[in-house]
Amino acid sequence: MLETVSLSDLTSILSQEQIMIEEENNHPHPLGNGGYITVFPETEEEIQGILQYAGDHGKKITIQGGGTKRGFGGQTEKADILLSLSKYKGIVEHTVGNMTITVKAGTTFQELQTYLAAHRQRVSLDPAWPEYATIGGIINSNESGPKRLGYGSSRDVVIGLRVVYPEGSIIRLGGKVVKNVAGYDMNKLFIGSMGTLAVMSEVILKLRPLAKYESLMLLSFPDGNLEAVRLFATTLLESMMEPVTLELLTPALSEKLTGQRVYTLAMSFEDVESAVHYQEEFVKSISPAQVQLDILPQEKAQAFWDHFYILKPNGALLSTDTKTAATVKIGVTNLDVLHVLKESTLLQDSHNLVVQGHGGLGHGLCQVTLKGASDDILSAIAYLRQFVEQFNGYLIVTHLPYVLRQQVSVWGNPPSYFYLLEGIKAKVDPKRILNDKRFVGGI
Amino acid sequence: MGLKGLKTKDKHIKNLAKIVGDRSILHHKEDLLAYDCDGFTIHKYLPKAVVFPKDTLEVSRLVSYCSDNRLPFLARGAGTGLSGGAIPVNGEVVISLVKMKKLLSVDYENKRAVVEPGFVNLKLTNSISDKGYYYAPDPSSQYCCTIGGNVAENAGGAHCLKYGVTTNHILGLEVVLPNGEIIEIGNNGIPDSPGYDLLGLITGSEGTLGIVTKITVRILKNPEAKQTVLAYFDDVSDGSHAVSDIISAGIVPAALEMMDKTAIEGVESAAFPVGHPRDIKALLLIEVDGIAAGIDEQISQILDVCKNRNVREVKVAQDEAERARWWANRKTGFGAMGAISPDYLVQDGVIPRSRLPEVLNRINQISEESGLRIANIFHAGDGNLHPLVLFDARIPGQTELALSAGSACLQACADVGGTITGEHGVGIEKREEMRFVFTDEEIQAQTDIREVFNPENLLNAGKLFPSPGRCAEVKKERKEAAL
Ligand SMILES: Cc1cc2nc3c(=O)[nH]c(=O)nc-3n(C[C@H](O)[C@H](O)[C@H](O)COP(=O)(O)OP(=O)(O)OC[C@H]3O[C@@H](n4cnc5c(N)ncnc54)[C@H](O)[C@@H]3O)c2cc1C
Repeated sequence: MLETVSLSDLTSILSQEQIMIEEENNHPHPLGNGGYITVFPETEEEIQGILQYAGDHGKKITIQGGGTKRGFGGQTEKADILLSLSKYKGIVEHTVGNMTITVKAGTTFQELQTYLAAHRQRVSLDPAWPEYATIGGIINSNESGPKRLGYGSSRDVVIGLRVVYPEGSIIRLGGKVVKNVAGYDMNKLFIGSMGTLAVMSEVILKLRPLAKYESLMLLSFPDGNLEAVRLFATTLLESMMEPVTLELLTPALSEKLTGQRVYTLAMSFEDVESAVHYQEEFVKSISPAQVQLDILPQEKAQAFWDHFYILKPNGALLSTDTKTAATVKIGVTNLDVLHVLKESTLLQDSHNLVVQGHGGLGHGLCQVTLKGASDDILSAIAYLRQFVEQFNGYLIVTHLPYVLRQQVSVWGNPPSYFYLLEGIKAKVDPKRILNDKRFVGGI
Repeated sequence: MGLKGLKTKDKHIKNLAKIVGDRSILHHKEDLLAYDCDGFTIHKYLPKAVVFPKDTLEVSRLVSYCSDNRLPFLARGAGTGLSGGAIPVNGEVVISLVKMKKLLSVDYENKRAVVEPGFVNLKLTNSISDKGYYYAPDPSSQYCCTIGGNVAENAGGAHCLKYGVTTNHILGLEVVLPNGEIIEIGNNGIPDSPGYDLLGLITGSEGTLGIVTKITVRILKNPEAKQTVLAYFDDVSDGSHAVSDIISAGIVPAALEMMDKTAIEGVESAAFPVGHPRDIKALLLIEVDGIAAGIDEQISQILDVCKNRNVREVKVAQDEAERARWWANRKTGFGAMGAISPDYLVQDGVIPRSRLPEVLNRINQISEESGLRIANIFHAGDGNLHPLVLFDARIPGQTELALSAGSACLQACADVGGTITGEHGVGIEKREEMRFVFTDEEIQAQTDIREVFNPENLLNAGKLFPSPGRCAEVKKERKEAAL
């Protein structure tokens, strides 16, 4: 074991209140990804100082935002230092007319949206647990929600980043303008990099206006006939309508949200009011006879989504859920989502689990939460991975307790060109200081 | 096929010819002249040879050969690049992809198409429009530029304001790496492949990380309706303010283009005049698309904005023919400068939209100081300026003057927090201007990544980055000593 972190070294960088030492007899955190010492930098210089200290002394650092993804990847229970960005927050620059914003990485998504809403603007992402998730964490884990269909993901909204490289230098990537091809599009490397390259300090985002009007249409298919769902979805996607979500909810998830245990399709429309109503009429006209159709306007639609976003396990909340549940993200080709959600639902009986899942028929990403006994969860993950690989898809585990993470491959097999990914890591973080082994292939 | 027709003693030419066949290689000086530059014509260099592979395997074999024999090489599409990315500054073997021009498949259900790199941008939309689909990125050169070239430059276009640039539409790539290895990235359009986002990194890397041999793109359903507005202003800043007001009203137009007086003089003197008044100071071309039921409301808001900003005249296109005329007039804008000036240089700076009036003033000043006319024709909605510096290369010194005026325009963009290129790329043209926006360390962070893919730097060397600054070199030495 390496020598432990010396407190006096850190106090030359941070004040006492910014340092928290883990008690010896503390229970280990069920999700791992902790640190013997937790530090809360409030300035970029402090982040630089911590990284330099770690580099000089051969220390490893785990980076954390709001902690919602503490169960996502990672083979370390405790690193030398847990670097929390939760106190590195706030708006740095916002020029309303430019529709761009610069914000510190530790700002929670909710704080950001609340601030922007006052200017009738928003960031067009819809991550889970907005009150906990920080913008830095969302981008590093490349989290997206159902509205990805309409608005894309982090790679479509991040226009610039300010990062602290492991050796301590500040590197700016991209810029403040919405169109930029000066040099490599370095932003892309850091989006979804799970904190394995650098500490993100500031984020520059492209904004959208708040929707002038919105509604949510819930189409439930009581007989569980997924062929009918497919037919409906294909017709809608082939039309000129512009749904912002086309998310299928499994019966168990639907029950939580609507009280009805049936497959439900959640379609959002956001536009000027007349265009939204027009699309509602269109949907009615192509809906099969046996389905039930509900329309939730404005606040009701928002309330539905607000509830939706807080149903997944949250690594920042230590409930029983967090300790015994798994969440997986599955990527397949659009309509193959139907196969994935059906197969996931069958796991309820075959593996004796509670299974709540949803997936976007227009973008191909599913999120499935599995709750039950550890062995059942592990075998269900292995089974589902094999299943989705038949469709050329992939499965990654986005939430799982630390002990169980050691028994599965979180990321699946690395790609054939893995040496390029390793090469990138070796260039940027040669000493493997940051989030060691948290990413694909043990990067 | 024998080697006789080749008439060369050069063993490399002979060996390259063995890979592609005698009729798919050029090496005589008179044939090579057509490849000594691209759309950036100020610097010219002869390639060693030009080869025309017909498939990925041939590309891979060519690349392996060049790499094994330490011959510099680069990829070339249609050669319309405006920053010199395809210019063989090191006497490269030019690998032209124009023979790889097939549309391989279209999957309407999943809204994607697979093309070879030499497939021309506009042909994609033309091939799928009967089913009501289109490919969104629409550079003005779309009738001839290749999708491979678009990927390399991360090309934009007028409609990128609402729909995003090339990178937002690329779902998968097959790439031949500089060592000849063929890799597939992006998993045919399944999003978020685990691992660093190489798809996003390679798009826009100006052909310095690999040669793209197959591309999966997103295709979109045509919008249900669109309407186009033309607005004439007597004052440039009224026009600029109208741009901001439209965006601030919460409208996301599909396109929002602007031209100034000199640009209007150019387009009205060229092949597609539409009768813009010659004495106005600025015009805006605005398009809104989407659900038909919502369009009228947005158009009437736009008309109100223009009136509040003292518009002289504003009109809505009455039919598709009128709309097409307005767009042809705009999209041929660069070439139209040929009608009023022997030569012109296109620049490509980007600024935060709110700084439009002051930067246009500054460009005006640069024009006065240099004595060269500068026309502005640009994507106003996303702040992407295209100052066109008009000059006459026959007059000694004017080329240099034009280059330095162009560079001054980029400095003006960088000064207000903007950048030096929004869609045309750095190439060789703007290498030094990279320093306007990046420090030596930041540039090195990028060349570090290049080294992972292109360690020998045989692929398209000398592009994109300035010659290393002193402190970067010193720092590198220190870093290496420390390891
Ligand atoms: C009149 C005119 C108008 C234009 N308007 C626009 C516009 O509106 N928006 C815009 O973005 N651009 C515009 N351009 C610039 C140019 O058309 C684009 O940059 C285009 O993407 C270049 O495509 P190309 O096939 O001509 O590529 P080339 O010029 O042949 O090559 C460009 C670069 O890409 C590399 N490259 C080409 N093919 C490949 C490949 N398969 N793999 C790897 N690297 C490759 C080359 O090495 C080079 O560095 C315009 C140009 C002209 C002449």
